[in-house]
Amino acid sequence: MKVSELSTDTRGTTLINHWQCGVPVTRGPVLTPLLLLLAGIAAIGLGMAVLRFFSPLGPFSAMNDVYAWGIWKTFNVMTLTALGSGPLALGIAAWVFNRQKLHVVMRTALVSGFLFYSTGLIALGFDVGRPWNFYSALMPWRWNSESAMLEISICMPLYCAVFLSFEVLPLILERFYYIGSERSRALLCRIAPILRKAYPFVIIGAYVIPLMHQSSLGGLLLLAGTKINPLWQSPVMPLLYLIAAVFCGLGFTIFLLMIVCLRYARNLDAAVLAELANLLSGVCLVFIAVRIGDLIWRQQLPAAFAFDKMSLLFLFESSMILVPAVVLRSRRIRETPRALLNMSAVACLGGMLYRFIPTSIAYTPLRSTAYFPSAPELVMAAGYIALGSVLFVLAVNYFAVLPGEASKWDHTFRPFGWPRKAADPPIASSLPSTVIQERVI
Amino acid sequence: MSLPFSRRQAFKAMIGLGGTAAGALLPASAHATIGAGGKTEEHPAHPIAPANAIAMLFDSTVCTGCRACMPECNEANGLPTDTSLSGGIWDMPMGLSAKTKNIIELYQDAQSEQFAFVKKQCMHCLDPACVTGCPFGSLVKQDLGAVTWNSSLCIGCRYCEVACPFEVPQFQWENWNPKIVKCEFCYDQRLKEDLQPACTAACPTGAVIFGKRTDLLAQAKQRIAAIPDKYFENRVYGEHEAGGTQVLYLSSVSFQKLGLPKLGTTSIGHYATKVTSVLYKWLAGPALVAGVFGFFIRRNWERHEAESRAHEAKTGFPDQL
Repeated sequence: MKVSELSTDTRGTTLINHWQCGVPVTRGPVLTPLLLLLAGIAAIGLGMAVLRFFSPLGPFSAMNDVYAWGIWKTFNVMTLTALGSGPLALGIAAWVFNRQKLHVVMRTALVSGFLFYSTGLIALGFDVGRPWNFYSALMPWRWNSESAMLEISICMPLYCAVFLSFEVLPLILERFYYIGSERSRALLCRIAPILRKAYPFVIIGAYVIPLMHQSSLGGLLLLAGTKINPLWQSPVMPLLYLIAAVFCGLGFTIFLLMIVCLRYARNLDAAVLAELANLLSGVCLVFIAVRIGDLIWRQQLPAAFAFDKMSLLFLFESSMILVPAVVLRSRRIRETPRALLNMSAVACLGGMLYRFIPTSIAYTPLRSTAYFPSAPELVMAAGYIALGSVLFVLAVNYFAVLPGEASKWDHTFRPFGWPRKAADPPIASSLPSTVIQERVI
Repeated sequence: MSLPFSRRQAFKAMIGLGGTAAGALLPASAHATIGAGGKTEEHPAHPIAPANAIAMLFDSTVCTGCRACMPECNEANGLPTDTSLSGGIWDMPMGLSAKTKNIIELYQDAQSEQFAFVKKQCMHCLDPACVTGCPFGSLVKQDLGAVTWNSSLCIGCRYCEVACPFEVPQFQWENWNPKIVKCEFCYDQRLKEDLQPACTAACPTGAVIFGKRTDLLAQAKQRIAAIPDKYFENRVYGEHEAGGTQVLYLSSVSFQKLGLPKLGTTSIGHYATKVTSVLYKWLAGPALVAGVFGFFIRRNWERHEAESRAHEAKTGFPDQL
């Protein structure tokens, strides 16, 4: 008792604090028309990806030798993994800077981050021309350690397959604990303490490695040199890419939490969201400060306010980051759900623009060739995103991902139901609920 | 690479030992001795060509546009003819492509009737951006300075195409087993047998000649000195561009009109790696961050555990990771 009174952790002590732990969605149909649509898009996209593997890249994409990187790299990987940096941003805030409130939303960030990274890696796998040579990744003597591309091609799969998977593992094991047999329970009870022991060490890697590869994504573009408009081409691009990843991760976690809580009629937690919004605004301000400082240092400020095409693009992008940074300084707005939702979406879009523009719109090589993604390219890109969305919906329905206030839930697998007109019966009365009493994972 | 245990090898070894554990394995004293070896910089801003560096000198004022070098190049490299524009009759490429490693292009000014030919192929930079970016060392700067591509190491990421300021490497979009097509100075085909590249051997007018880079640079400067103001800006393109290239150009019209990009004198590899090479030296940067993070995570972890145990005792609900 005494410890909890003295601690800074005030979970469950105030009326507006609705988020106490991860709780799966237990009501409503799983298989909605929207989910079916997304699954269809994912199936078409993945089907085309498989076809692409048996075909050259040419018929599947509009990429050419001048624009050698299409949207699979520039959007699915370089832009969307910024949104998937929630585990990095929240993890550092929660574990390194001891923002205790954020632990409760870690799972949402982890699952979304894992899905952004894994679908991005699938996109990469079908984008590279000679994937069978990738076994060189296991042979360190072949590595060109100066190459930012090496850093990314090793660290991204490593991060996703080892570190993110490890962080996601507890919520999967926890599920198996409740539906598994006695023997599997005994096994899981033996694994759990090991996981808990390893956890504080593994998460060090889970934060250092994305710091490295998220900055290397900006580092990639340094070699493109004069092909990228000087408003974006800068030696601090690696740092800016990293900061953009951090605030996109924070912004997207806020956005996702609010959207999903609206969808599943959950109460919001003003304290946690305001804390996230506060961090988001701070990181956005840091980004703007570095961006402007860099432009002044490289004497590009006149070009930034020349009001030509590139200048307008820059101003649009920067204002998308500056507006949420300034607006979210106000405590009243941070605690207004609608404004918070809008501002986090705007910040995400601003960060995505910053990560996307230098690879595409501001990428102006000498030879005059245009690139616009072809239909199969767009379908495949949409397919990867749809796959991530479907898996996220399934995850929140079957695992304790979303934060909630209920501490009881039905541990049997829910039926994969079709949408029904009839109102769902209240959980407590009709379904057998189990209160978790053992400390599991 | 003169030290027995170079930075690159150390990097590989440490990565091999497993990312974050590396920081713990590296003794503190190793941090202090970094850079004490007096090793030469891997990417100097202005690289100096080795004494045996070869080069090509192309003089646009001598080229008559006969294109004799193109079929010779195709033959030496086993390339098909690009007949898509000529209706299947003769080789007629539109530019460097997956079928063309070497091309003569015409620049013509509509008003002044000024014209010039330019030969395009790999510039064989002294510090090539493509080699710096290539993740598994598929592109290599060989002895004599030729930049070659190795099919067994390439993963097809096409970073070389993004990195090359001259837009030279070309990808076979129509091939299931795609290759990167670029001029390799006829390294395997001819240089190894002490023959000069096919294009310079074929040139009937001496517009493009082969030799040691120092000799050709001196010769180019002699030509400029002999007839002042004949050549654009009285300078040799490629002497300093992007840190210097092993293909040198002389022209009477602007280099940019010929399609040669306006570049700074700093090597692009230097620009791209000057910060990261310090941060990632011996993986010291990541190891340092891991150490700092580890300290705080350890402290906060214990605090968090105590709190969650108290929370569990109070409410009966366990803490989730």
